[in-house]
Amino acid sequence: MPIDHKRINGPEESVPYELFARLSGITSEKTFEETQSANIRTDGRKFDEQRKIFLKNGVVSQAKGSAYMEMGQTKVMVSVFDPREIPNRSDYSLKGEIYCEFKFAPFSCPKRRLHQQDNEEKQYSSIMKKALESTVCLHELPNFQVDIYALVLHNDGSALSAAINAAGVALAEAGVPIYDIVASVTVGVQQGINFLDPTLSEEQMCQTQLTTEKFPNPNHAVVIISKLPMQQQLCQFHQTGYMSLDQLKSALELLTKTCETIVPLVQKCLLSLVTNSIKP
Amino acid sequence: MSLCDAEKTFILHGVKENFRVDGRDREGYRPIELETNIVQHAFGSARLRLANTDVLVAVKLEIDVPFPERPFEGKLEFFVDCSANATPDFEGRGGETLAAELANILTSAYRSPQTFNLKKLCILKGRKCWKICVDILILECGGNLFDAVSLAVKAALHNSQIPLIKSINIDGDNIELNVSDSVFDCEKLDVANAPVMVTVCKIGDQCIVDPSLAEEQCSVGSVVVAISQEYFSTVTSIGKGSLHPRTMCNSLELGQKVGIRLNKAFMETLHNIQPDEDVGFLK
Repeated sequence: MPIDHKRINGPEESVPYELFARLSGITSEKTFEETQSANIRTDGRKFDEQRKIFLKNGVVSQAKGSAYMEMGQTKVMVSVFDPREIPNRSDYSLKGEIYCEFKFAPFSCPKRRLHQQDNEEKQYSSIMKKALESTVCLHELPNFQVDIYALVLHNDGSALSAAINAAGVALAEAGVPIYDIVASVTVGVQQGINFLDPTLSEEQMCQTQLTTEKFPNPNHAVVIISKLPMQQQLCQFHQTGYMSLDQLKSALELLTKTCETIVPLVQKCLLSLVTNSIKP
Repeated sequence: MSLCDAEKTFILHGVKENFRVDGRDREGYRPIELETNIVQHAFGSARLRLANTDVLVAVKLEIDVPFPERPFEGKLEFFVDCSANATPDFEGRGGETLAAELANILTSAYRSPQTFNLKKLCILKGRKCWKICVDILILECGGNLFDAVSLAVKAALHNSQIPLIKSINIDGDNIELNVSDSVFDCEKLDVANAPVMVTVCKIGDQCIVDPSLAEEQCSVGSVVVAISQEYFSTVTSIGKGSLHPRTMCNSLELGQKVGIRLNKAFMETLHNIQPDEDVGFLK
């Protein structure tokens, strides 16, 4: 990957100090065992309980629409700019396009992120684009492109879901025609337990396979879905890991149900936007 | 390729009747042609032709340093190149998004240790490991790229041979590896659990697998399902459409059923390939 030489990227070969702290023995296995025996998560939630959500629109004055979302410790900012003509394109396209850029701030994760997008961020951008492409009425924006920028200020798990939720609000504020509010939820799966709205440590635990002798169940995965609740449509679905059909179905059911709980929050946020704008 | 409404209706009705334009049923695949060990300079290679989709995959091995957070594991990386030969759309930077999407899906499908064990690629903990570079070249595009690529990658990995390391000399920071002199002292990679991808396409009210280019045009939404044994290693929706949760469940079921069948047939074929057959592409 080419390195941007105009920026100072810090020493080339450095290792986050947490790696040495991990040697003290806090492994995914241990965390899972503790969680399983206590039957409650490390932050005191039930397995199917979401974290508290804070949602605010209009946080960036220069952008046409913007939103800020907190899900527990996760903090994400999304801004949407005016539709503009698709750059570098000679032929006319009947449908509009979405451009998404998902970025972790350099200080948002335990490990420092570079200023340039890495592969994970590019993948998240394309998942986000996929979710918003079926949300925006692209036929009403012929030959135009809508730019959406998401910046994660603090990553404590489910950052992509938070970004998609916030993007829905920002799009609505920007006045971009959309079919419906978009709601997105993440679930982590480990040993047949669904961790709804996982934190970063839970996300990492669900991405790895625990030692097979102690934990014979091979299921481990992270599933992210985005839904248009009124239309009853899944506009995006992404799963990675290793899981059986039954497990996947139960996760899907849980996720589609949870998407509904986000809708009232978004509605309230948009309602206050309207009432504030018509007040004298 | 652009279709008129009448053509689309024809395809739609065919799918409804379970009798598609080329005579297949909804769960049927087009004929697949496979060749392995065709690139001299690669450690393993495969070329797969699925009807009009043509993919060439070559595996190169390098020695690298493991990631500090995973000192016991080797590395596996995918590089996709969409050649402008395939379609004029890929000219310049046109194929980049598709290439990135393919590489992302492959990376995420191979991430779980259940599908592909990276621990076997470690040579010396935290110091040396094998890095497998899988280079995928798309020669022709005839629909259903994801399935073709995943099968070709699996075949190329199956065909790959890792040279045996006889001894390791450590002198402070200096590490010397002694690779076996004989070219036949090699280890095969275990690809029994490597995922195969099945693209499930929704046309009308029905779901089909292995869509042709024309059928892809008629689809309202597709899901790519990566199956390893009977488990899902990656599921992701592609294209611009959206799906109802019930359709999603049906697609998952169909994808799993077809994926298991495809994997079984493919593994049998891989084991039946005779070495040193001097026929075919690039020979």
